[in-house]
Amino acid sequence: MIKAENLQKRVAMAGRELEILKGINLEIKSGETVAVVGASGSGKSTLLGLLAGLDEASAGRVVIADTELGQLDEDGRAAFRADHIGFVFQSFQLLPALTALENVMLPLELKGRRDARQQAEHFLQRVELGPRLDHYPRQLSGGEQQRVAIARAFASEPKILFADEPTGNLDSRTGEHIINLLFELNREHGTTLVLVTHDLKLAQRCQRRVQLEDGAVLAE
Amino acid sequence: MKVTAARMLARDWRGGELGVLVAALILAVAVVTGISAFTSRLQAALEQESHRFLAADVVVTSAAEMPASWRQEAQSLAIDTAQTLSFPSMVFAADDNMFLASIKAVSEHYPLRGELRYSEQAFAEAQPAAQGPESGSVWLDSRLFALLDVSIGDSVSVGEATFQVAAAVRSEPDQSPSIYNMGPRVLMHFSDIAATEVVQPGSRVEYRQLFAGEARLIQRFVTWLEPQLQPGQRLLDVKQGQPGIGSALQRAESFLLLAGSLAVVLAGVAIALAARRFSERHTDYVAIMKSLGASSGAINRLYGSSLLLLGLAATTLGCALGWLMQAGFFAIFAEHLPVLPGPSGIRPYAIGFTTAFTCLLCFAWPPLRRLAQASPLRVLRRDMPHENRRSLGDYLLGLLAVAALMFWYSGDWRLSLAVLLGLAITIVLGLGLALSLLRGGRLLGMSAGSIWRLALAGLQRRGSANALQVVIFAMAIMLLLVLVLLRTSLIDEWQAQLPPDAPNHFMLNIAPEQLQSVTDMLRSHSIPSEALYPMVSGRVMSVNGEDLPQTDDKQQGRRQRGANFTWADSLPAGNELLAGQWWETGSTAAEVSLEEEFAERLGLAVGDTVGLLIAAEALEVKVSSIRKLDWQSFRPNFFMVFPPKVLADYPATFMTSFHLDAEQKSFLNQLIRTFPTITVIEMDLLVEQVRAIIDQVSAAIELVLAVILAAGALVLVAGVQASVDMRMQESSILRALGAGRRLILGGLAIEFATMGLFAGLLATIAAEFSVFALQVWVMEMSYAPTPWLWPLGIALGVLLITGLGLYSCRKVVSSPPLAVLREL
Repeated sequence: MIKAENLQKRVAMAGRELEILKGINLEIKSGETVAVVGASGSGKSTLLGLLAGLDEASAGRVVIADTELGQLDEDGRAAFRADHIGFVFQSFQLLPALTALENVMLPLELKGRRDARQQAEHFLQRVELGPRLDHYPRQLSGGEQQRVAIARAFASEPKILFADEPTGNLDSRTGEHIINLLFELNREHGTTLVLVTHDLKLAQRCQRRVQLEDGAVLAE
Repeated sequence: MKVTAARMLARDWRGGELGVLVAALILAVAVVTGISAFTSRLQAALEQESHRFLAADVVVTSAAEMPASWRQEAQSLAIDTAQTLSFPSMVFAADDNMFLASIKAVSEHYPLRGELRYSEQAFAEAQPAAQGPESGSVWLDSRLFALLDVSIGDSVSVGEATFQVAAAVRSEPDQSPSIYNMGPRVLMHFSDIAATEVVQPGSRVEYRQLFAGEARLIQRFVTWLEPQLQPGQRLLDVKQGQPGIGSALQRAESFLLLAGSLAVVLAGVAIALAARRFSERHTDYVAIMKSLGASSGAINRLYGSSLLLLGLAATTLGCALGWLMQAGFFAIFAEHLPVLPGPSGIRPYAIGFTTAFTCLLCFAWPPLRRLAQASPLRVLRRDMPHENRRSLGDYLLGLLAVAALMFWYSGDWRLSLAVLLGLAITIVLGLGLALSLLRGGRLLGMSAGSIWRLALAGLQRRGSANALQVVIFAMAIMLLLVLVLLRTSLIDEWQAQLPPDAPNHFMLNIAPEQLQSVTDMLRSHSIPSEALYPMVSGRVMSVNGEDLPQTDDKQQGRRQRGANFTWADSLPAGNELLAGQWWETGSTAAEVSLEEEFAERLGLAVGDTVGLLIAAEALEVKVSSIRKLDWQSFRPNFFMVFPPKVLADYPATFMTSFHLDAEQKSFLNQLIRTFPTITVIEMDLLVEQVRAIIDQVSAAIELVLAVILAAGALVLVAGVQASVDMRMQESSILRALGAGRRLILGGLAIEFATMGLFAGLLATIAAEFSVFALQVWVMEMSYAPTPWLWPLGIALGVLLITGLGLYSCRKVVSSPPLAVLREL
């Protein structure tokens, strides 16, 4: 499903080159749940950005469902994301000017789905936010915002879901609730889940764990 | 893509994201449209008003009767016509009383514009007349009643015809301000001319053919007429009609257009600031949308159509507001405006529309277009820098757009250039000075106390953003200073031109032996008067030994001219020497000082000789100087001035001018009865008219200035707001770390005050240049430096920016830091 070959990322910082990823090789099968773990600065988020096609690699390649992301331009990758990929972020990333319902409808509308509203309502009910469709993000608690984000991620029925520290901004009880929801929905839809976290308890719930240290895979 | 622009706008609107941009846009359109509609309606009204001085829209003057085909052509275009004929002639009354009068015969419909006023008794209260005298009757100048010893109902004769005196003529709209060869007026009907048998071929007469109608038709008619004009026939329109009013109106027009252009510039700056903030706030949106799979094309389409919708909505609202604004102006000023506002036409709204879309395209679109390039990686890393930095190209595009709009709006490249010069000076000096000074502060700041260190560090950290802001503040302040300066100098000049006690009557033909008793009489009634000027009549016969042709209508070029000469030991008040030398007191040399235009018409320069005929004696004099006169001063003015001894042996009379209040008018009766040979010319109604117009124009200028000041203040607010987010964030963090109110507010105050200081300084420098260029190139005024501008400009900069800045950031010390941070 996802294949990373000799993935490298270098950035220029304060006049010298900084190597963030030093040649990552990784293969994730369809329907698999994988946790990418590691300390702050180990390169987890950078790896996630590259796998999801949000960023371009300095060297190496990412192939998802037989498409090599490096061969696509920015717009091509955007179209690819619309079709295949969903996200859940640490800081939720809801559009503040849109209601909960409109936020969930957004990726469906981008895909041109005619049933965007029904689909969005369905998923919001699934995350138990049925009565709060018309609320704006600022009127929702952190946990509620993350549930909207999960509804948004699953509503467009992506094949792969990337989650970046999904519980990082939540207290442990709310975080646990969110995780349960995430894994439930994942099972229901058979989605491939790639999760970046430094929460070992969360990582334990995944089928596989990839540990990064200083830009390289330390252990699997 | 189903996320339509309208939905995004609606959502943004609900979320409060669009407020600043929409407000700036609506304000821009409203100000531009409102001022433009106001000025064009006022211009139409004032032009109408100034047509009064022609009694028509256009006039052709000629020494011979004009072809009837002109009137037929005009009538076929639905243009009204009327004719007048003026000539000097003796008027006779009973008991051999007679007087040389200035006769004017007028046809039906005269005047086509303005008002003819009459009174039922001499010097009684004047009232408007529906039309001139009927055939068989005449209206006499008030003073003729005394001079001819007649009253209403008596008979007088002109040439072979006898008329009944029906009224006193008090004022004609097209009364010539020229005071020479002007006897008291006798007004009669045009059809009575033949009966008098006075007008013969070769008589000194002036025919005037008057035309009035819709501007478009008049334009068409003039185009048709002009090629048919013979030498000696002259076409007059408003610009030539009344020099005093003409230049006042032209300057006022320049000022209003300038004000409108500045509104365009301010609007552009406000929109640019708002769009920048809007695009910065939307970078995260775009990143999220891109991470969810939106292509850059889709994002461009989304923001492009949003901008289009926004432009349409703001234009509609702005035009409506602009209409309301100008209607409000006229409602407030209705009682001060004796003229009815004319129609504004569609142009102001077209200007509003074009301004809105030009501003959107050149100021708002560049940063929004770049939004599509925002990296989707921002969803993972929010601290990534904004990528929508403006390029040099953006600024050039904006500057070009402003220049083009200004030129289109004012139609005057010199005016546009003068303002652009000021803006360019601000930008160049601003960026250089601000950057280098802000950098220079680093060393200074390190050793200073902690408030200073905080403030200077803040200034430097955002060095280029701050420099840009300084330039924007300076531009707004500069434009306001320019307007205030020009308004002050215009109004001062007008007031100086017509002080309340300006002379409004002229007295001519005072014999030397009458001088003492006339002066005594004026003094005994405490009537202030100007100096007495001697007057000698003569004729210019030759130039540099070459005789001039005699005919005065067939020849366009130089010809013999009659003129009144005076003598003086020193340069008369209000005269300015342009070339040559003034003579020494007591000079006996045969020399003369000429008025600039008179010299030009005769092709004379300093050193040339002129041959004159005075009282049948020839006199040859050398031109020793050229003078410039102020024709708008209502003082006696002379084309030719001689040293006293040169004219001493010729017969002279004297003239003067004096000021008479309305309630003192009966003094004239007494004066004329005591000195029947003296000619008095009443200019009071004319002076009053001129003053009324100037008052209106001044009021309009004050009003427009107030609106522009408000617009300028808004740009300052938008400018301060643009930087508030970052300052608030930093201050909140400091606050969270325990910084006191004094430290934070003090730091912010120093930061804003420093920017205000630079902005005020730049604004003042640029304003001086701009005002110089405007006064010298556009308004044809003389430039005087304004030392008070410097402290004013700098104080304005510091106080305004500091005040607005602290006000915008006040939350930082009044709300909990976390609440502030969360809102950003």
